[in-house]
Amino acid sequence: MTRTFSQSLMLYLTVILTLGLILFPIYWLFITAISTSAELSALPPSFWPSAPQWEIFSRVWEERPIPAWLLNSMIAALGSAALSMVVSVFAGYALSRYRLRGGHSLGLFILTAKMLPATLLVIPLFAVFRNLGMIGSMWTLIIAHSTLIIPFATWMLKGYFDTIPRELEQAAMVDGCSPLGAMVRVVLPIATPGLSATALYAFVLSWADYAYARTFLVNAPQNWTANLGITTMKGEYVTDWNEISAAAVFVAVPVIIIYLILERYLVGGLTAGAEK
Amino acid sequence: MPNAKMFDLARPSRQHLLGYILLAPAVLLVGFIIVYPLAIAIDLSFQQVRIPRMGTRGAFTLANYQRLFASSEFWMACWVTLKLVTVVTIGSLFVGMSTALLVNNRFRGRTLARLGMALPWAVPEVIAVVIFAWIFDSSFGLMSWLFVVTGLSDTMIPWTSSPAAAFWAVALTMVWKGFPFVSIMVLAGLQSIPADFYNAAKVDGASALQRFRWITLPLLMPVLGVTLVLVILWVFRDFSIIKVLTEGGPLKTTQTLSIMTYDQAFGLHNFGYASAVGVLTLVISVVASIFMLGRGTKAIY
Amino acid sequence: MTGLLRKSLVSLAVAALLSTSALTPALAQTTLKFISWQVDDAGNGEWWKSAIKAFEEAHEGVTIEFTKVERGAYADTMTTLFAGGQPPHIVHLASFEFQSFADTGWLEDLDPWIKRDGLDMTGWAGQSVCQWNGQTVCIMMSYFGFIMAYNKAILEAEGIEVPTTYEEFLAAARATTKDLNADGIPDQFGTGHETRGGAGQYLTEMLSYIIDAGAYWTDKDGKVTIDTPEMVEGLTRWKTIISEGLTPVDMSAGDVRRLFADGRIALKLDGPWLYGTMQDGAASADTVVAAPPFTVPLGGSSNVLAIPSEITDEEKELVWEFIKLTMSPEFQRTYATVGGNTPPSPKADISGVEETIPHFPLLVKTMQAASDGGIDRIPAGLELNYNEFSKMIQEETQRMLIQDLDPADVVKTMQAQAEALAN
Repeated sequence: MTRTFSQSLMLYLTVILTLGLILFPIYWLFITAISTSAELSALPPSFWPSAPQWEIFSRVWEERPIPAWLLNSMIAALGSAALSMVVSVFAGYALSRYRLRGGHSLGLFILTAKMLPATLLVIPLFAVFRNLGMIGSMWTLIIAHSTLIIPFATWMLKGYFDTIPRELEQAAMVDGCSPLGAMVRVVLPIATPGLSATALYAFVLSWADYAYARTFLVNAPQNWTANLGITTMKGEYVTDWNEISAAAVFVAVPVIIIYLILERYLVGGLTAGAEK
Repeated sequence: MPNAKMFDLARPSRQHLLGYILLAPAVLLVGFIIVYPLAIAIDLSFQQVRIPRMGTRGAFTLANYQRLFASSEFWMACWVTLKLVTVVTIGSLFVGMSTALLVNNRFRGRTLARLGMALPWAVPEVIAVVIFAWIFDSSFGLMSWLFVVTGLSDTMIPWTSSPAAAFWAVALTMVWKGFPFVSIMVLAGLQSIPADFYNAAKVDGASALQRFRWITLPLLMPVLGVTLVLVILWVFRDFSIIKVLTEGGPLKTTQTLSIMTYDQAFGLHNFGYASAVGVLTLVISVVASIFMLGRGTKAIY
Repeated sequence: MTGLLRKSLVSLAVAALLSTSALTPALAQTTLKFISWQVDDAGNGEWWKSAIKAFEEAHEGVTIEFTKVERGAYADTMTTLFAGGQPPHIVHLASFEFQSFADTGWLEDLDPWIKRDGLDMTGWAGQSVCQWNGQTVCIMMSYFGFIMAYNKAILEAEGIEVPTTYEEFLAAARATTKDLNADGIPDQFGTGHETRGGAGQYLTEMLSYIIDAGAYWTDKDGKVTIDTPEMVEGLTRWKTIISEGLTPVDMSAGDVRRLFADGRIALKLDGPWLYGTMQDGAASADTVVAAPPFTVPLGGSSNVLAIPSEITDEEKELVWEFIKLTMSPEFQRTYATVGGNTPPSPKADISGVEETIPHFPLLVKTMQAASDGGIDRIPAGLELNYNEFSKMIQEETQRMLIQDLDPADVVKTMQAQAEALAN
């Protein structure tokens, strides 16, 4: 494919303009962190502060347990990603390879997890976890997040497995592999793009949660995730937006890194579920 | 499933059993987290409860549902939800698809552009609402200022105390947060369309628009169907964006069903009534997704 | 891939086993959970921490875990903890939200405890609010009077005296609302009100004007008294302030305070806590605290301590000890010196506080005036439905502003709806 110079120029201009619009709010978050409160409420708005307060980042990092919050978020996100991946790989594989009676309705049933308003889940779930003695434990988050992830993950993976020819497993089974062994040794390696995409989805979903963390971990500050920590930075009488924005920048960075790592697998992996 | 028969013939009984065993963890986990709370919610919706206490229950009554169907607030919340779902879904689909088509072109820095496009998805909602609350500030916000500077408005726009402005502030924020998912999905879908199709169409003299209409769109349909359902369910359930930006106001013009559920439960401590709203919300979304998926499935085969 | 999967499966199983054992808390040491929204507040937070320290020193083997939940999520979180059967041991609630908890029977009746220890509660400011269904369900921690702070420089620039009546206040607010850089957008405001902090806060913001006009939501017997000429006047005042743009709109309380502290607002009505924000602001040299220009200043109960009814008797004993500690003359004094609040105890020694907080006598005076006037933010007869009531009033007020309705008609709508709620 070759383009004329003017076509290229147009393409680049459009890309830059679009990206500018899309990323502007994130840029604005950054500006909010390093501007003084007087400059924040000034019109016309300053698109770059006259005296950027760079020290805000080191101050927030030192004053708040940001590393601990990030670590907790990371544990919750990796834990949920791991748990939901294992469960979804099994479920997706079963739905893809076996003609199960009621398989379709079970698939739909799993999807209802995505439909119930979170408000109604909170109190009963709290009671369930309390009876199990788990309130305040990271496992509450890992389990609750996994349930939110599994429906879509199962669906995506089923679709992905559908695209992998069965002959490969059958050949492996002829060579003496168990059905499960065939899945693990033959199908999963081929499905790496799909698995990566699903893992990214799981990670982002867990990383973004606030409602569950607030409900289950409120009594356990040592387990607070980044989002929960940030919201507790709001003061009763006055809120320091510089600090909150600076902390928010810290929270956004790990997701971007994870995304960069998994990006090359993402395309092609993510929607195979719907393609068949 | 072309080979299922052969597979089954090998060891039919064991194969099925294994299938169910593999499916079990997902069903159990979802059942554990969803079915029990759901049962509680349905149970509560038939009681007059202000704040529930797990383990005790009141007398059976239909009062919550009677009150609900008679209340204009509920029908208004339905209408607001419908409006928001429509606007946000169309907005996200449009923006998501355009950006996907854009970064599907080959150019230097494409990876970076794709990353930038997906970035809003990675920003947690808790943080996104903080940013947008600033942008939509009625007295010093950037958006109002832009409207004044460009002459679109004479005065600053009271984003949260004017009904129309509040709705669009919420919708815009949700589109920003929702389109990257569509974009990623569409981009992935685009990768799977063989280049031969386009080349053939070009030889036949099809214009770019025609190629989009007759090749890209039909082949993207399955992906779009699934994405659509997920976006709709997200708008249905989401409440933190509206809660922070407008609290459902002014005059309930941004009060969706999920905000109403939340408000009745935690704001006004009418858990019985809130559960009735929640249960009906669930029924509506189940019906909607069966309808959408049913169509989606047809489109696939 | 195979190895990785197997490894992760094994580690998951191991972790699951480990966690169940790690989940059983060590019971040798008693831990009291104490959740509050005031943990990080400069004055109050420090005061709570000093009380906790003193308590832990006096009680070997008991620790208090002091955890913050931000105000915006506070009521939801407490509701969930109580409903889920795991309330914090030391219950800290705002005085407008404890009623639902008390009504459900979740707060211990404190009368037997008070009687047993022979505490004298006469003259304890705001304590009557804690009476619920004939029981004392909580101890009032704070009752305060509203003050007015003003920006000296802004008033002097316009040649305006500090207002002492509503009329002067309005004139001053009008004169000081300005578009300083002539871009068509006002950037200095006469006064500042929060209008997006929830319905209860919205009513508090309106209430100064309403009380000064001689109106209130209900009378002492709980009869709704909204449909009165005084209330029409009160609503008209609020409408004037908002529709003339004398206050920035749609701002949260913290941001309005920040604006005042940075010298962008001339007059600000607020609680005693405004002082802390003022000191941090860019205009700290110009901002001064004064008496509010309204006869019978707005006052209100703020927050309470309570004991959950379903913890063990030993735990109740400890929590009661802690509550008693905060009520002691010593800590009531530091509530003023450290917290900067007006202590509710009539016996608190508050001499010399004005050396660190110069306007402290003023705080005491407005609190006394409000208390003597029997003013509170929560209307009698509507305590349990306060959230619903305030939401209704807020909506009808917003309707009045958006559709430009006549306050004389609006009070009729409010009266009818409030009566329906009260029954």
